[in-house]
Amino acid sequence: MKTAEPATHPWKDDRIPEPLPPLPERLQYLALMSDAPSRTFPSALVALVAWLLPGGGYALLGQWARALTVGITIIVLFVAGLLIGGVRVIEVPGWGDHGQKLVVDAQGQVTEEHPGEEEDRPWVLTAAPLTEVRNKPWYIAQFLAGPINIAASAASIWASRDRPTGGAIAARSHARTNELGVLYTAVAGMLNLLAIIDSAHRAGPHAAECK
Amino acid sequence: MTPPLAYTPFLEPIPIWSNAVWPWLLIPLAVAVSLVYKSIKCATMRQVPREAAGIAVWILLGMAAAAAALAALVHGLER
Repeated sequence: MKTAEPATHPWKDDRIPEPLPPLPERLQYLALMSDAPSRTFPSALVALVAWLLPGGGYALLGQWARALTVGITIIVLFVAGLLIGGVRVIEVPGWGDHGQKLVVDAQGQVTEEHPGEEEDRPWVLTAAPLTEVRNKPWYIAQFLAGPINIAASAASIWASRDRPTGGAIAARSHARTNELGVLYTAVAGMLNLLAIIDSAHRAGPHAAECK
Repeated sequence: MTPPLAYTPFLEPIPIWSNAVWPWLLIPLAVAVSLVYKSIKCATMRQVPREAAGIAVWILLGMAAAAAALAALVHGLER
């Protein structure tokens, strides 16, 4: 009597493990679309680069799409603010309405230094820095936009100076245009602060938690 | 004839004094805030355009609603 044998292929031997199927070809994504940091840098360095150039922190991490979106948006917003309200929407602490240094006189009053004055009076930013910055609070937010704000500050001081023929080089804007110019530039700075914090966090050891 | 006021970019404010014009400048501001916020928030950048458009519309609707409510309040107080 014949016993039933398990049906096996004549060429198949169960003792030999089957070779694993070949791995599917891996898709290669461009770094432009990558979301995970492809390089590692200290968080402080990433934060510094993000302040120096809006979006630069993400660029350092290899996240180019995010870097370009954030950087271009912040710079366009800041420049739009200067176009709307004029460069004098940047009120620089330590400098007055005529583009001269603010100094503290013997009576403790803050006055603008006159060109050619030799009297040694302390600059307001060294004598009372907190009071002066508190008088121009929007500058704190604008400063966060990075070196573009320092360039705009220099331009604002220059544009505040009096012409030899009289009157400032550029007049200060008023009402809605001034408000919108200040708002645009300050919001650009605050958005850059968000980008600085986020890019520094992505560079840190807890980057995986931000999903 | 009085010549029109010249506009020198960056040195003079943009000549938009009409109350019918300046509120439109809130649109680019809302779009910029949405773009940066969603670029930070979204896991992948592919999601950003759609998400940012959505939140920009919500910001503008919220601002319009706040403006309407405040206008109604002012009209109510004037009576």
